[in-house]
Amino acid sequence: MSSVDVNHVSKSFGNRQAVTNVSFSVRGGEVLGLLGPNGSGKSTLMKTVVGIIKPDTGSISVLGTDVARDPVAIKRMIGYVPESPRLYEFLSGLEYLDFVSDVHGLAKGERQERIMEFLKALDLESRENELIHGYSQGMKQKLAITAALLHHPRVLILDEPLNALDPRSARIVKELLHKFRDNGVPTIFSTHVLEIADAICDRIIIMDGGHIIAEGTTQELKTKAGSSGSTLEEIFLKLTGTSDTRDIVEALGR
Amino acid sequence: MKPNTVWPLAIVLTKSQLRGYQRSKLLAKWFGNPNIIVILDTLLIVILGTIGYYLISNLPPDLMVVTERLVVEGLIGIPTITTFMIILFGILSELSQPIQSISSDLVNWLPITPSDYVLGSTLSLSYTYSFLLAFFLGLTLGPAVYFGNGIILAASAVMGVMSLFIGSSAVELIRAVTNRISSSFYRKSGRSGIFARLSLTIIVLVVFQLIFSGRVIASVLGRLTQTVATVWYVPIMWPSLAVQTFSAAANLAPLGFGLLSLGFMFALFGLAVGMRRAYWVPVPVSISLGTQPYQASFGTFRIPGLDAAESAIIRKDFRSLTRRREMARFLAIPFVLAASLWVSLYPFGSSSEGFGLTGIIPLYLIPIAIFCEVLSMTSIGQEGSAIWNLYAAPIDAGKVVSAKMSLTIILGSVFTCGLLLAVALLSKPGTGETLSLLVLGLLVVIEESALGVYVAGRFPDFRETVRSRYVSLSGSMLGPVLGVIVALLTAAPMLLNGIFQTVFSSLLLEMMIGFLLIAVFWRLAIRQVSSLLTEIRV
Repeated sequence: MSSVDVNHVSKSFGNRQAVTNVSFSVRGGEVLGLLGPNGSGKSTLMKTVVGIIKPDTGSISVLGTDVARDPVAIKRMIGYVPESPRLYEFLSGLEYLDFVSDVHGLAKGERQERIMEFLKALDLESRENELIHGYSQGMKQKLAITAALLHHPRVLILDEPLNALDPRSARIVKELLHKFRDNGVPTIFSTHVLEIADAICDRIIIMDGGHIIAEGTTQELKTKAGSSGSTLEEIFLKLTGTSDTRDIVEALGR
Repeated sequence: MKPNTVWPLAIVLTKSQLRGYQRSKLLAKWFGNPNIIVILDTLLIVILGTIGYYLISNLPPDLMVVTERLVVEGLIGIPTITTFMIILFGILSELSQPIQSISSDLVNWLPITPSDYVLGSTLSLSYTYSFLLAFFLGLTLGPAVYFGNGIILAASAVMGVMSLFIGSSAVELIRAVTNRISSSFYRKSGRSGIFARLSLTIIVLVVFQLIFSGRVIASVLGRLTQTVATVWYVPIMWPSLAVQTFSAAANLAPLGFGLLSLGFMFALFGLAVGMRRAYWVPVPVSISLGTQPYQASFGTFRIPGLDAAESAIIRKDFRSLTRRREMARFLAIPFVLAASLWVSLYPFGSSSEGFGLTGIIPLYLIPIAIFCEVLSMTSIGQEGSAIWNLYAAPIDAGKVVSAKMSLTIILGSVFTCGLLLAVALLSKPGTGETLSLLVLGLLVVIEESALGVYVAGRFPDFRETVRSRYVSLSGSMLGPVLGVIVALLTAAPMLLNGIFQTVFSSLLLEMMIGFLLIAVFWRLAIRQVSSLLTEIRV
């Protein structure tokens, strides 16, 4: 049985169609990679799954609960990292994590233990009392990831979570994702780094112009693209019609 | 300094300042054009001048002598007042600028020298605030022409332009200082630095308001010409002294003070350039709030009747109010309003005895109503683009409304008690009256909190610009008006009947009105916030 079901979802903003008739499902313990050029509709789609954007048509269910019917219950189950997360910059890192823990109703003992574990693992331990305003982009990203994982989420929605992370922290987050996968947690994961998608994701969806243009494992995508020896990057460029990069670079380099 | 760099920079900075204040795209397009400023300044001078000339021509003859003297005093005061106003506006603008917009300033990585930047920015500030000089010159144009003081007006205009540059250079200096020195201070002092900044902001705003209250201005203007001569050693007065000595037909003094003013302007400019050179790129502020090992704060500051999530939102919003410099102005509102209303309208001294409760109630309720209304109606928009944290959190609209209302109720109640204490000391009302005022104040606090959250949800503005209102233009106009109406409606039984005859009946009626309004606004707020939380808007 699928853990996340997205059925015929469409969403437009004024005249711009962001997502058009998209359907897919994610099984428990599966990591689904969402790939696509900028503006292809990945973030909008992820926000509809989290329940912070209402689709114009279609339905979404997470672990059997309809997102439209009970968004609060969905948010309790989900761990979400948005693309370029804006945090409360006037709070210290610890105060922010305390805020998120309070909102999720995490008990005192458990909260203390988990926060300290995450801070240590992600190298935030000596900076936790500083205001977030003084954090680097990478530190803010680590804090957003910690906040998304603190409450033992049953589903992960991660919009470019490895952005701005240093190699060590990126490695830890990737390992964490594997651990969540082993525990049966379904994950929807978007990235522009195709090697990461290749390494982490069990299945990949490529979006362009709000549509799903390809879906499958890396091997299946290679077969569909008719180039079994190609890299994921070559497949991506071919499918999204952006493979003419050489001409563009030559023109810019003149 | 390269004119090819300075001039485009000045134009870009002017557009940035003008458009930063405009929320409407149409207004931003029109008023963001620097050429419009020239037209508006000219129109302001011509229109005010014409009106002034017409009014002065129809004055009774016995007022002419006094008016002529006032006009000359005004012309002498224009340069000094222009400088003061620009410095105050500059400080206010600096205080209400979101911290993010400073460190991301484009000039930090463009090939622009400190002197290019300071000159460009000074020109831009002078240009943006030129409407102040235009306003003062327009006010005095008609009477000056009528009384044949055109030549003094011309001298005042010349020195006024110089004062514009003096004020702008001073603002540049303040900006450079606050960019770096303050950040070092906050980093070292943590919480106490935050508290010092908050207190300072509130004091600056209250002083600003008091300086420009009618009574104080009238008194300052009246004494300026006498004062100006005795404070020749204060450089900021030199432009006015140049006009004063010129009007007195002194031979060398106007030239001397004119040259001193010019020298002062260059000195300030040089100092601002020096400070910019020393403190060029703003260093990101890393304020540490302590070094104690982490202790989970679960259960601390829990408010009875509210759960952990609601309490967490209240704590977060309180920190937002006290730690964000652009939010401190909202905490200054009650002090500013109370001070300016009481200073302007309350008859201090022996005549206060006849000033009964009906006179006191509006002075007591209006600051409470507006403070709570503004605090509450900005409570959602102030989340800015971090609002996704609430959208993604497992909390429903009811919790958001009760948390947002609770903070306003807590702060509003504290202010109400403080103001009531001041009222008790000033007017010495009886025990019954004091208790009635307390109940009335607290009712208004709760009503405004609920009404404010409704307005906040209905007209949110999440943009983080200079002087963000956190509520749309319609909301910012509607909220306080509704707030004052609601407060006066609740106080109507006391205002109409008089407390001495029907103390308990009027109190009972007020409570009935209050509870009814609270119930209505609470429902409206929940409905509005539910609708808002359906879909993220940023």
